Amino acid sequence: MKRIFYAAVASSFLLSVHAGAARAQAQAAASPAKKVSAIQVLMIQSDEIKLPAEFQISLYENLIQQLEKKGGFQHVYREGDHNADSVTDMVVLHSTVRGFKKGSEMARNVTTVAGKTSIDIHCQFTDKDGKSVLESDVNGKVRFLGGNLRATLDFAKKGAKLAHDNFAANPAS
Amino acid sequence: MVKCTIRRALIFLAGLLAAAALPSAAQQPPTGTKAVQVTGLTGVKPNAKGNLASANGNLEFEHEKAKVTVPIHSVEDVITGADSQRVFRGTMGTLTMLAPYGGGRFLSLFRSKLDILTIQYRDTDGGLHGAIFTMALGKAEPFKKELLAQGARTSVPVQDDSGSSNTQEKKP
Repeated sequence: MKRIFYAAVASSFLLSVHAGAARAQAQAAASPAKKVSAIQVLMIQSDEIKLPAEFQISLYENLIQQLEKKGGFQHVYREGDHNADSVTDMVVLHSTVRGFKKGSEMARNVTTVAGKTSIDIHCQFTDKDGKSVLESDVNGKVRFLGGNLRATLDFAKKGAKLAHDNFAANPAS
Repeated sequence: MVKCTIRRALIFLAGLLAAAALPSAAQQPPTGTKAVQVTGLTGVKPNAKGNLASANGNLEFEHEKAKVTVPIHSVEDVITGADSQRVFRGTMGTLTMLAPYGGGRFLSLFRSKLDILTIQYRDTDGGLHGAIFTMALGKAEPFKKELLAQGARTSVPVQDDSGSSNTQEKKP
């Protein structure tokens, strides 16, 4: 009886491990081993979620600033930049807003625990042909100090780190 | 003697008034509106205070000694919004958080409303940029109209542009 019980526990454990690995594999569409010299950032899309324009712009600008600050890429191109047309050694970052909760700076200051601003963004890295090479969900939030737009900076730092760790040709910088 | 003193006093008073009036007539009030560039303009630090104006087909942001210009015809979208900020902010605002008996929290309740102006524009290479400005309440809408009159485009018509917008409104 005990053997059956142990076997059942062991098999369920193995199954959960396997499922977790499969999920992680699905999230990272392909092995992001290829290092590139340039990255192009497209404007943040928010077709399903109502996102104020200032948040959209702040996400985009902060992401580009953080990528430039982090280094590792020779060029960080903006959406529509003609100079990127001839570059082949490049990944394109598509960002889509999946969730947004605008908190309140006043509520944060007064109560400490309430008023959190949070943004969930699905980041998809594709190659020049549009083939997905990495997908990941990145969250930006502000809990305590700062205005609501500070959540966009939090996202930008995480997004830039994700890009840098997976694609930067010169990760030491 | 008295008449002479009165005459001298009147001349002195007139001189004072003229001296006070002349500089104000010579110094033309700066056009545009005082604004804070939150982020986006190339070569301008975040949260830089300056003067935002539209002149000669350009959107100009002048701060300290530098001036940044963006051709208005390259502005693809102008959107206004509203927000609020702490009355006591910056270093002083941070220090107030240390006030005893929840004094800092109490001071956080004092907030001032402000307008947000968001623009999207293209540089000479076609790269898409965005910039965010905050300004005094009621200033963003007239400025938007001014930009639209000079050739800027918007995804949200002026009448409907209350609060914030999203990309869904861009759809026809």
